[in-house]
Amino acid sequence: MSLLHVEQLKYRYPNRSVLALDEISFTVDKGEFIGIAGRNTAGKTTLCYALCGLVPHFFKGAYGGRVLLDGDEILASSLSRITSKVGFVFDNPFSQLSGAKFTVADEIAFGLENLGLPREVMHERIQESLHMLGIEHLRRKNPFDLSGGQMQRLAIASIIAMQPEILVLDEPTSQLDPQGAEEVFTIVEKLTQDGMTIVMAEKKMEKLAAYSDRILLLHDGKLIQDGEPAVVFSREDLMEMGVEPPIYTTVAKKYGLRKESSPFPVTLEELLAFEMDEPLDGLFPLQEKLETSHIHIEELSFSYSDGQKVLDSITLDLSSEPIAIVGQNGAGKTTLVKLMKALLIPSDGRIVIDETDTIDTTAAKLAKKVGLIFQNPDDQIFKKSILDEVMFGPLNMGITKAEAKSLALQQLKAVGLREKAEENPYDVSLAERKLIGVASILAMDPDIIIFDEPTMGQDYEGKLRLQEIIAGLHAKGKLVICILHDMDFVSEVFGRTIVVGQGKVLFDGTTKAAFSQLDIVQQAQIELPHRYQVARAIQQKREFAPRTS
Amino acid sequence: MRNMTLYVHLENGSPVHRMDPLTKMFYVFTSVVISYMLPTHLLVSIVLAVSILMLIIGKVFRSILPIIGVSFVLLASILVVQGFFHPDRATVLWDIGPFTLYKEGFSIAFLILLRVLNMVCAFGVLILTTKPDELVEALVQKGLSHRFGYVLLSVLQIIPQMMALTGKIMDAQRARGLEMEGSLWVRVKSFIPLLGPVVLRSLAETRERSIALEVRGFNSTGKRTRLHELPQYPYGTVAKTLLTSLLLFVIVWRIWL
Ligand SMILES: Nc1ncnc2c1ncn2[C@@H]1O[C@H](COP(=O)(O)OP(=O)(O)OP(=O)(O)O)[C@@H](O)[C@H]1O
Ligand SMILES: [Mg+2]
Repeated sequence: MSLLHVEQLKYRYPNRSVLALDEISFTVDKGEFIGIAGRNTAGKTTLCYALCGLVPHFFKGAYGGRVLLDGDEILASSLSRITSKVGFVFDNPFSQLSGAKFTVADEIAFGLENLGLPREVMHERIQESLHMLGIEHLRRKNPFDLSGGQMQRLAIASIIAMQPEILVLDEPTSQLDPQGAEEVFTIVEKLTQDGMTIVMAEKKMEKLAAYSDRILLLHDGKLIQDGEPAVVFSREDLMEMGVEPPIYTTVAKKYGLRKESSPFPVTLEELLAFEMDEPLDGLFPLQEKLETSHIHIEELSFSYSDGQKVLDSITLDLSSEPIAIVGQNGAGKTTLVKLMKALLIPSDGRIVIDETDTIDTTAAKLAKKVGLIFQNPDDQIFKKSILDEVMFGPLNMGITKAEAKSLALQQLKAVGLREKAEENPYDVSLAERKLIGVASILAMDPDIIIFDEPTMGQDYEGKLRLQEIIAGLHAKGKLVICILHDMDFVSEVFGRTIVVGQGKVLFDGTTKAAFSQLDIVQQAQIELPHRYQVARAIQQKREFAPRTS
Repeated sequence: MRNMTLYVHLENGSPVHRMDPLTKMFYVFTSVVISYMLPTHLLVSIVLAVSILMLIIGKVFRSILPIIGVSFVLLASILVVQGFFHPDRATVLWDIGPFTLYKEGFSIAFLILLRVLNMVCAFGVLILTTKPDELVEALVQKGLSHRFGYVLLSVLQIIPQMMALTGKIMDAQRARGLEMEGSLWVRVKSFIPLLGPVVLRSLAETRERSIALEVRGFNSTGKRTRLHELPQYPYGTVAKTLLTSLLLFVIVWRIWL
């Protein structure tokens, strides 16, 4: 008997007309690693909810079919019984905090206390999970004072410590630095060896391909295919469903590299079995330098109220072209851009935007000059409808309601949310909320636009849109600054990259040069863009290949 | 986001910090009750002085000031209402335009003021020097249901949590051009557009939180355990006995003697 058995599952959220899940059937055996792929709104999160009982026990609505967990029907079971077997990691780590604990270690303990574990066991598990996720140094910190990525690590740690039989993760690495993301996959794979079963929704297809046993491909609430990664990613119609296969598969498809009628390779190793060349065209573009606003940062230092130095005498000049900021979780990236927006005041040093020192102005006065899209979209949203949300900024600039509305609708169209303008922002997915944030800032047409992790949770289409938006802004003479953990996006869009680590600038120069310095890549916990990895691997293979003739 | 509680953390603690939560609760109860039973300004002042002394020993006196500041509006209105309008009007203390302040009313108002101040300070001793989770845990160990404990904990955090949430929304609004810094009028004006969002967001957060609690096994029916052992307070029994005797003494004295 399989551990999870899903049969003809159908579900519709209350007051909705479309099915979020439509006749889904599959089974999962103990110790399997199942990946869920699909574009935004495909139904990944809802499927996760259905596996851990939140659908139908918390989210009501129309429910049909059956989900059997270890033979017990989820519909008939109580939520607390289900959650004792199934652990669930949310897509937004902030929503997962208990709110009852005041240190990171105690937060992990919250779940363990509810399980009634003896004290020694709790201490052991806390230590172990802190160590696994690399957050031991934060154990005494208040969970609400963590950076986005640190919080995500905590969210994963606090569920892993509970050692559920089945672990369901909804995009658990969306805010992690690249090496952190890799670590999470390794950890999770190790857990499957100890018999834990994993179901993970993810956008990082290279990782899904490398780690999962099977992939469930969802589209519009339907299960399109349930199969091995190679088979699923070899589908011809993948892009039509808004899913980009792993880069390795894309390269292989381009050159027709596969053994007769077998699927295309999905990992780097498999790809390298073939002879080919991967020219780096399109990678590391050098952007045209234009006349833009200018940010001058001088000897900038900053500490939060706990006194720990987060930024340590940073000097930078930002202008002329789109700039990427990359680096490890907790490096101080978000803090840096909040300072640029005058939401925080430097402890030392100064930031001058065009002619204005941020100390002499206010965030509100800077609104027309600098727009900041927050890392956590929920921190940015406060209105009851998406349209109102986007109109808020323009209205503050003193234009008429009608004008504000037309501006807002125009921006909502640009991010692909025009149809949802009247909806409540809390009813759309995290990735869509992120786009609301983008639209609400762009509607004010500031001269400098700072994005804090815009690609977070975005699918192929969303990223393409962002890429267009950034190019359009640049062409209009705006200065675009982007914090990113997606190195592929960095290497395809930005000519200049700044690498920060532990409050310092480790590198500032062309994107190409940034990725040529392997020691810095290592130190900053980032990775090489996938296509660049391919090119390097081919080159290495050639150099080490025994020469014939 | 700032620290989510009113609790003041001290690196080395203080004698008051080390007191166990139950003893402190006993103290609050006794202090508040007897301040209302004692008849004279002098006696109530002594009770108040003890509370203030506790705050000073606990090194948190400065943190009570803003709270007193907040309750000042309430206190001032007591003074006004009682001072001007208390029915016992004999001795005129002051004439302000058409209004007259009477000594009797003022005296009673002053007594009430002392009592309210004492209440604020006594609660301050408890709230400022006790970790909220330990406070609630102490009650849960005495038989309070853990669900109610969580509710209590949320109540204790309402003010700091609202402050944190307000801070977040203010950041979001000022980032989009709503001026909140500057003159008093600007601040007052920016306060109104905050209210709706704060309510909206707290509702959304409450919903999220209840999902989070489910997922973390909060509603499981099994026995639960506790990571931290509550530190034993060696003088707990003595202190509680003393407080109880004092309370009984005052009751007996005021009612029968
Ligand atoms: N409100 C706060 N109070 C205290 N410390 C904070 C606060 N916010 C952030 N920090 C700390 O400051 C450091 C930098 O945080 P920041 O959010 O700038 O990191 P980041 O580079 O944006 O990380 P991420 O990639 O995870 O978003 C972290 O160590 C974090 O724990
Ligand atoms: Mg950040």
